[in-house]
Amino acid sequence: MDKPLNNRAWFLVLPVLALVAFSAVLPLMTVVNYSVQDTFGGNQFFWAGLEWFEEVIHSDRIRAALGRQILFSAIILAIEIPLGIFVALNMPKKGVWASFCLVLMALPLLIPWNVVGTIWQVFGRVDIGLLGYALSSLGIDYNYVNDPIDAWVTVIVMDVWHWTSLVALLCYAGLQSIPDAYYQAARIDQASRWKVFRYIELPKMQGVLLIAVLLRFMDSFMIYTEPFVVTGGGPGNATTFLSIDLVKMAVGQFDLGPAAAFSLIYFLVILLISFVFYTVMTKEQETP
Amino acid sequence: MRRSINTGFTILGLIWLGLIFWLTTQVPVRDEAKDWFGGLDPGGWMAWVFPTALFFTIIAGLLILFTWLAIRFPETPCKGSLGIMTTRGDRLFISLLGSAFICLIWLGVMGMPVWGGLAVALIYAAAVFRWV
Repeated sequence: MDKPLNNRAWFLVLPVLALVAFSAVLPLMTVVNYSVQDTFGGNQFFWAGLEWFEEVIHSDRIRAALGRQILFSAIILAIEIPLGIFVALNMPKKGVWASFCLVLMALPLLIPWNVVGTIWQVFGRVDIGLLGYALSSLGIDYNYVNDPIDAWVTVIVMDVWHWTSLVALLCYAGLQSIPDAYYQAARIDQASRWKVFRYIELPKMQGVLLIAVLLRFMDSFMIYTEPFVVTGGGPGNATTFLSIDLVKMAVGQFDLGPAAAFSLIYFLVILLISFVFYTVMTKEQETP
Repeated sequence: MRRSINTGFTILGLIWLGLIFWLTTQVPVRDEAKDWFGGLDPGGWMAWVFPTALFFTIIAGLLILFTWLAIRFPETPCKGSLGIMTTRGDRLFISLLGSAFICLIWLGVMGMPVWGGLAVALIYAAAVFRWV
């Protein structure tokens, strides 16, 4: 017989709830209030109803930014998750080299986002950047300032450089928690390397992979600083992702109403996709 | 213990009802009639209006109600048509999230007003609580 759930423990999260209320719920409420009103500054607001939501839904500019954003997140997940697993599988399990690798992998994570953007902005420049100069010397026509494909490649490679180590470190932690008995049993059964990965390592990494996928999805879907520093959303609008477009609308044009409606839809999309990821990835762990 | 919990939640419910009544008293009067879409705190940075205040009060009320239900009638998660284990709280979350998208889709396809979308969202929520 199944044991009924006792939800009284939820009262223990009340202090966190109070903190989150000030840091997240109050701003969110304000955004909801702004999304149904119009303002010309001076805290004077006029009721607009759902007009801004309608405008945002029908905006070609925002649809294009959403398309770019989905493509970017899909590419990032498709590269960083397998690459992170691969790196974690090949990292030394113990000894000095294990510590060395851990420190090396943690380095990109310690660099502030705007600094990462600046590093890659200089690194990719054809005149003074090592990458840009080297590619030009090899006869490759690379210029992320003018060419949309080059801009995309630069932004993607930069994100992979910055964040793959997070996935690798999470997977490494998952791998370290697997008892030796599992590997001994696999050796006795003469299991191949692939089968060890498929039936021992991958299922044991499922928990950390869920966190990695969620973190990388949410982060890549909200990416702002790095592409803004490197390409500024260009050339044209080639790398104008949702958050860059949102900031342009809210801060550049001071269209608070449409920007609020836009950010609410943006929030709902992230919430929905994260919920779907979470549901799909935890489905197998649940008991019937 | 059970009695004190019920008493606590009854007091919370009364506060909630009092809050709704208080909100209606804050609605500004213009041309001798209540302006339901006027600012509740003119000049305030949060720019409250009655519809958004009512929206958040209803969400808060739902959270209080479902917290009470979870404590008063503990439940076992069950598997529905989506094939995932859900509690009442999960079903509320799925209902609210889905309803938001239904209203947005209605707005995109049919335009304003969204009363039709709201009706579809209510039917959807009932279906989620029955089958998911």
